[in-house]
Amino acid sequence: MGDSSDDEYLGMEWIPYSERPEWSDVAPLPQDDGPNPVVSIAYSQKFREVFDYMRAIIACGEKSQRALDLTTDALRLNPANYTVWQYRRDILRELKADLNVELNYLSEVIGQNSKNYQVWHHRRVIVEMLNDASNELELTENALINDGDAKNYHAWQHRQWAIRTFNLYDAELSFVDRLIGEDQRNNSAWNQRFFVIKHYGFSPNLVDQELIYAMNRIRIIKNNESAWNYLVGVIRQSKYGYGLLNNHPAVVEFAEELYQAGNRSPYLMAFLIDLYQEQALQQDISDREQKARKVYGLCDDMSNKHDVIRRKYWQYVANHLKDQLNKSSEQAMA
Amino acid sequence: MSCHIDMEDKTEPEPVLLSKHAKNLLRFLNMLPARMASHDNTRSTIVFFAVCGLDVLNSLNLVPPQLRQDIIDWIYGGLVVPRDNEKRCGGFMGCRAMVPLTEDADVLACMRKYQWGHLAMTYTSIAVLVTLGDDLARLDRKSIVDGVAAVQRPEGSFSACIDGSEDDMRFVYCAATICHMLDYWGDVDKEAMFQFIAKSLRYDYGFSQELEGEAHGGTTFCALAALQLSGQLHRLDAATVERIKRWLIFRQMDGFQGRPNKPVDTCYSFWIGASLCILDGFELTDYAKNREYILSTQDTLVGGFAKWPQATPDPFHTYLGLCGLAFTGEPGLSAVMPSLNMSMAAYVHLQHLHEVWRAKSKEGSEDNDLAISSAVQHQLKLTKDGEAIATTTATTSTSPLISAQ
Repeated sequence: MGDSSDDEYLGMEWIPYSERPEWSDVAPLPQDDGPNPVVSIAYSQKFREVFDYMRAIIACGEKSQRALDLTTDALRLNPANYTVWQYRRDILRELKADLNVELNYLSEVIGQNSKNYQVWHHRRVIVEMLNDASNELELTENALINDGDAKNYHAWQHRQWAIRTFNLYDAELSFVDRLIGEDQRNNSAWNQRFFVIKHYGFSPNLVDQELIYAMNRIRIIKNNESAWNYLVGVIRQSKYGYGLLNNHPAVVEFAEELYQAGNRSPYLMAFLIDLYQEQALQQDISDREQKARKVYGLCDDMSNKHDVIRRKYWQYVANHLKDQLNKSSEQAMA
Repeated sequence: MSCHIDMEDKTEPEPVLLSKHAKNLLRFLNMLPARMASHDNTRSTIVFFAVCGLDVLNSLNLVPPQLRQDIIDWIYGGLVVPRDNEKRCGGFMGCRAMVPLTEDADVLACMRKYQWGHLAMTYTSIAVLVTLGDDLARLDRKSIVDGVAAVQRPEGSFSACIDGSEDDMRFVYCAATICHMLDYWGDVDKEAMFQFIAKSLRYDYGFSQELEGEAHGGTTFCALAALQLSGQLHRLDAATVERIKRWLIFRQMDGFQGRPNKPVDTCYSFWIGASLCILDGFELTDYAKNREYILSTQDTLVGGFAKWPQATPDPFHTYLGLCGLAFTGEPGLSAVMPSLNMSMAAYVHLQHLHEVWRAKSKEGSEDNDLAISSAVQHQLKLTKDGEAIATTTATTSTSPLISAQ
């Protein structure tokens, strides 16, 4: 829960609305919080006055330049007031305002409130009204890179929307690669990579290329859940290989070599558990029992050594496989 | 203690400061400082965290009768009931910013254009009323659910209100809680809702806020709870459930994180914990480590929990921290119903209301709008320990099972 500090926005030259001659025709309209309000906010004098004027303007439906300026003040004090944002849009439509000016204003507001839902929604509506998303990649790049939070959910969501709606995929893979290069544990960037690749379609060539990409990243940082999830996700999503880990021998070999070399990352181990489980459950395989024993052994190692916090889970995984194998052998006998 | 890890630990576990947390939450019901003005629009969520938190602490008795009545009256004061010629914007407002103090009929009429129910405020308002034992008799259930249906998007998602709002999984969840609590789904399209949720399952088997966004703990809770509350959880096939469980289980570091490679945060002990409860997998987590993390964010001076150790506590993290502890059976805390995020006691009261409404609609007139609702057949049956059993005949849909995107 953030705090709002209006002084830093409004500066020292603040003149109360009641002392502004151009507002003398408006009677402020106080809020009716009921006879015995709860969770009352001890509004500052400034907050109270600005919203008293805001209500007065909304009540008479005035849509003017001064009303627009008033929403600017109100939204600085409370950028989460979605009704004021809506009223601002109603004013912009009525005045047929230059929406590029609004975009510039919003770039500044988003810079200060990059985790506020309402500002991003307003941005989206304005971009839709303009039917021009040429500034959106730069805006979100600023929010992700220059503002220091490369995992800002709002910025990624807005970026995906702009790319999807206005077909801006062309340079996205290199942007994503740059972010993954800067921080290989940036899960948001990996997700974005999946989004772009899926748009192009999982052709066998592209799948192989992405598997190599993920394996190369894992070679650098082995204990990285994001890269492992991507690797498995690509395999499971592509029709090529029927979504089975076992049908991608290069990946199987890669994982088994890592294990042979002594790596015990829980993500590698989880991959192997899934792989051997998949093999054990394939009906036609002769060494089912041997594969199952591998799963049980790995689950034990996870529980006792490499992933102790999830010990109950790995025991559950082993038991779950036992149940499945029992069921399938019962079915085979029936 | 039966847990083998704890036996090696000779130090006494830190206590949960129950009475300090209760006092902390109680304070928020009265007056909030000016610095919280940016929470003006979501005041009813603060009431929700405080009232439901006191309930989980078994401390609602600390709320004096007059204050209890004031809370109920203030909540009802936010109810918007649209007239026939107005937009279907029924529901609760979370604040009074658009309610003017005047007797001028024209002014009052004009302001109504900007008074809309908001799904998150409607959800938290009804939950507060239920928790305080109100019988919801002052609610027109149809008008509220009409408001929910009016903000559903063609692709199945929901906006928060009739105008000026984004749509995403948070409001899908709120829509499901409202319809479930009111025992009425009206014109809400559950099939479209399911399709939107299904499309938001990511390649790593967490759910995103919308479509192809990143999988996230909070939105995964919203998705799973919405499926459960709408009687559609059984539409997830067994393999998919196992993979979602894996994604959730992997979020535990000591406490829980919301996304891979992000820091842990107290609130995810609820979001991830409740998600695992819904999938019947919470017992696979490490309770001691979870508790240890939550307790490291406890403010021992003024009470409350924060997102991180040494951070400032707030009602949101205090409430969700308490719920996270309740899932592990922490002594002194009452059981929490995961998908509605309220106490089991409140949920039992709600079920009683449902029985009364259903009996009334049976004996009542045939033309009762609510009586023709199919909601009755679509309800979840929840056992006392919170384990959900979806009725297998609940959905008429023939759509395929969910698959990751």
